[in-house]
Amino acid sequence: MKRFRSKEPYFMLAPSFLLLFIFLIYPLLSSFLYAFQSYKLTAPNDIGFNGIANFKAVFQDANFGMVLRNSFLWVVLTVGGQFVLGFILALALRKPFPGRNFYQAIVFLPWAVSSFVVGLTFRWLLNAEYGPVNDLLMKWGIIENKIYFLSDPNLALYTVILTMIWYGVPFFAIMLLAAMQSIPEDLYEAASIDGAGIWSKFWHITFSYIKQTIVLTLLLRTIWVFAAADLIYIMTAGGPANSSNILSSYMFMKAYATLDYGQASAIGLFFMALLIVFCYLFMRATKFEKAGNF
Amino acid sequence: MIRTQRALITISRVLILTMFLLGVLLPFYWLFITSLKPKLDILTTDIQYWPKNFTLDNYRVLWQSSNFDVFLKNSVLVSLGTGLFTTCFAILGGYALARYKFRGKQMAVYGLLLTQMIPGVMVMIPTVILFSKIGLMNNLGGLIMIYIVGNIPFCLILMRSFFDRIPVDLEEAALIDGCSKLRALFRVVLPIMLPGIVATFVFAFIGAWNELLCAIMFISSDEFKTIPVGLSMFVQNYDVNWGVMTAGAVMALVPSLIMFAIVQRFVVDGLTDGAVKG
Repeated sequence: MKRFRSKEPYFMLAPSFLLLFIFLIYPLLSSFLYAFQSYKLTAPNDIGFNGIANFKAVFQDANFGMVLRNSFLWVVLTVGGQFVLGFILALALRKPFPGRNFYQAIVFLPWAVSSFVVGLTFRWLLNAEYGPVNDLLMKWGIIENKIYFLSDPNLALYTVILTMIWYGVPFFAIMLLAAMQSIPEDLYEAASIDGAGIWSKFWHITFSYIKQTIVLTLLLRTIWVFAAADLIYIMTAGGPANSSNILSSYMFMKAYATLDYGQASAIGLFFMALLIVFCYLFMRATKFEKAGNF
Repeated sequence: MIRTQRALITISRVLILTMFLLGVLLPFYWLFITSLKPKLDILTTDIQYWPKNFTLDNYRVLWQSSNFDVFLKNSVLVSLGTGLFTTCFAILGGYALARYKFRGKQMAVYGLLLTQMIPGVMVMIPTVILFSKIGLMNNLGGLIMIYIVGNIPFCLILMRSFFDRIPVDLEEAALIDGCSKLRALFRVVLPIMLPGIVATFVFAFIGAWNELLCAIMFISSDEFKTIPVGLSMFVQNYDVNWGVMTAGAVMALVPSLIMFAIVQRFVVDGLTDGAVKG
């Protein structure tokens, strides 16, 4: 059937691509325009081009430096934590053993849960007055005073990061586990015969065999985590005083709370530029184009 | 020597997994038992790790004095709509990519992969503006459309990899037997692919069921709010009624958990295939 050439495939792909053009590509392109316009819903009569005023306002905002720093910490710590824990989990699940399916189903569970349920649950767990975390830490004598996880400006960001790590471990575990399961078992047998130890087997077989998957998942996950704003919105709404805002949540808050679509678009454009630079550098550093034509 | 090493590995495997297991389950346990506690037992500094008094009051309040039934109906509609349309479009497109050779195919695949790099928040504002121009704001159909767009690139690539796994010979045999192409697709190929189709549907369904930010931006009136939006409205108040909130969160969890339990294996296989081999 692969030999046939006809117009059919175009018709089959048309609905999907049509939707993507109207509701993804067109909005993406028009966000470039909105970034250079005054577009406040609170001042509907003032809508019009205003040059780089939005960018000026955004960059000069006293909070912007902190938001940038937060974004960096958020991406590095979250993706790093999720990756390391996901890797450990995948290794633990790699070989068949009694009860593996059960363990696998449970530890993958956070994947099926929405960020608002996760955010809500952790907000409640970490509640200073009635939450169990503070209570247990005090009972066990680990802390003397209550920790205000979500209302202390020095802690809020890290609290949300820890929650996000919890939420995203299954993704890495699923991807890495699947990749590990495609490693031919005789590679390990051959290595054993050659007298290879556990570490050398891990490094030369497990790690090098799934390198492509690692690179791909790190890339996709970084983009996703960078853009994820919903957990932050539910847990802290970016507060206190922007101390837990990252670029994407900052942008959402600008649009949703202050209805300033122009400035929000400017933040978005800057955000997009950062992502593109990152993807480019990441692909070069990892020689991504050689990592299989995915 | 080797035997003790093996035993050590097994022990550490079980230890690690048990720690993860507890880490995953304890938050859910806390959510669940809070929803079953009476208000006085929730708001107490003498924290009860095992509730003394069980009650279904929070669930009753949730159903009677909030719009939860409306939120639930909207969430079901939006998620089913998203799941069904996404799956149909993905079957069509995946079939085209797997079984035909055509000009621009490589570009189409790369285009789909590239859309994965566009963060959703980026297109939210222009879409809001577009929607308000064409009257799709505050409209469940508009929300479904956004979710289809969000899910389609991945689901289409996933579907394609499912088709790729089914030998073309099967269809060719059916064609020789006098089936039309469409008949061959429906009678021969799709039944074999049922697990993959279910996985795709569930993926899109859960995605739509759980989505929050777009729903907040696009829906403003109570009658069209989905569960995430409805509950997030409560939580932004200072006086959060944790009993009712947690009851709502448990209700919101049920459908995703049931679906996840049923298709966990396909989803895991499907995700891997779709993302790794593309």
